[in-house]
Amino acid sequence: MNALPIDLDLAWESLPALFDGLMVTVFLTVLPLIIGLALAFPICFARMSSRRALALPAETFVVFFRGAPLLILLYLVYYGLGQIEALRNGPFWIVFGSPFGCAIVALSLNHAAYMVEVLRGSLLAVPHGIVEASEALGITRRNIFLWVRMPLALRYGLKAYQNEVVSFVKGTAIVSVVTITDLMAVANSIFEQTYDPFTPILCAAAFYWAFVNLIRVGFTFWGGWLNRHNAEDVAMPGPGRLALARLAGRAKVMP
Amino acid sequence: MTNLSLADLAGYLRQLGEGALITLELFFASFTLAFVLGVLIGVVTLSRNRFIRAAWRVYASVFMGVPSLLVIFLIFYGGSAMLAAVLGEFGARIDISPFGAGVAALGIVYAAYIAELVRGAIENLPKGQFEGARALAIPPLIMWGRVILPQVMRLALPGLVNVWSFMLKETPLVSLAGLQDLVAAAKIAAGATKEPFLFFVATALLFIAFSAASLWLANRLEARLDRGQRRAPVRSSAQAEA
Repeated sequence: MNALPIDLDLAWESLPALFDGLMVTVFLTVLPLIIGLALAFPICFARMSSRRALALPAETFVVFFRGAPLLILLYLVYYGLGQIEALRNGPFWIVFGSPFGCAIVALSLNHAAYMVEVLRGSLLAVPHGIVEASEALGITRRNIFLWVRMPLALRYGLKAYQNEVVSFVKGTAIVSVVTITDLMAVANSIFEQTYDPFTPILCAAAFYWAFVNLIRVGFTFWGGWLNRHNAEDVAMPGPGRLALARLAGRAKVMP
Repeated sequence: MTNLSLADLAGYLRQLGEGALITLELFFASFTLAFVLGVLIGVVTLSRNRFIRAAWRVYASVFMGVPSLLVIFLIFYGGSAMLAAVLGEFGARIDISPFGAGVAALGIVYAAYIAELVRGAIENLPKGQFEGARALAIPPLIMWGRVILPQVMRLALPGLVNVWSFMLKETPLVSLAGLQDLVAAAKIAAGATKEPFLFFVATALLFIAFSAASLWLANRLEARLDRGQRRAPVRSSAQAEA
């Protein structure tokens, strides 16, 4: 055994295959992130509704798809839904018949359930007085949501959103169980061909690490851009610090 | 719709039960390892030594930046070679079981998250706690064990609960390394009976039930740990960066 556990020649040779795997992982990250977020908004409104008939199903959705391990959700969609006759003969079989479709459905539902909680937490963090003040100014409810509550909620919830996205990326590593060749699956198949336990997996780890940290850097810039009005304090303001931060921002503009 | 005989069902249920026990064992073993490692690492890396701090940053960044599944595979496939490199001839003869690989991998990964929580909690403690202990000439071991860490646990509890429930949802990953746990048993039963929907939903509900039960316990524990506080302090944002 040589000193370095990595076989550089093998690493160089397997780079293109690993890169293709990374592209699959990126694809399986981006699409469910979009679908999950789109699903999360209506479910979050239902969850926050005062009508039990709306709130209860939404809550059940969140408890189930957040509480169940992603691996089981994936099995459930991939193996379980095929059992339903109507679905097998219906038009949606294009989605549920392919491993990609199943993975995207399972990942999206899981992400949506997490995002409902992130959204709800961020929306609840918006001080009520601000909403009341907007109502007193005669701003329509839609505009209050779009231009007052959401911009503030985004700032409060950005850190939680980042955590969810990062853990989601890492969660996609299981899609190889439904025959998708993502980054993890490529590394595994190289291991099975060469019996080198370190090179392919450590290379895949480097790719994952780079992808995850790219997302972290992106969120940091996003957070900085959202808080550009108080450039000295780039960190996300907590609900309590916000008023102070805004005062500080004004003090700089006034003179 | 179901075409299972009662005897068959009882057999599969027994298998699921055995699998659930293995999943629980795996979970408790890895959480204990992660907790002990995490507290140790959290305390040690508060040192001012530049190398220790750099090592902590590398460790945290690596294990928070790669999927747990990858770490499980790395230890399962490469564990023997790693042990051989460290222990020499003796280590090469140790076979890595899926269970051992799972405990080691989940323990190492989640120790990073727990260490981060513990570090945050220690830094949030008033300086006077350390100064007071020193002024009373309390030996360091007793200071950490009886003064600092009990308060740290109170501050870190919400984050620890997060790590706990997140880790629970990652334990099924070890079945991909060949462990015959709850999820593996459910998959076998689903394939053999052609009733995947039933078995996977039942498995999911088991996880949710366990998670709910432990959340209830955590709330009780939190109330107990907070009994010395006049009112619940504002929770610092100590959520695990999962």
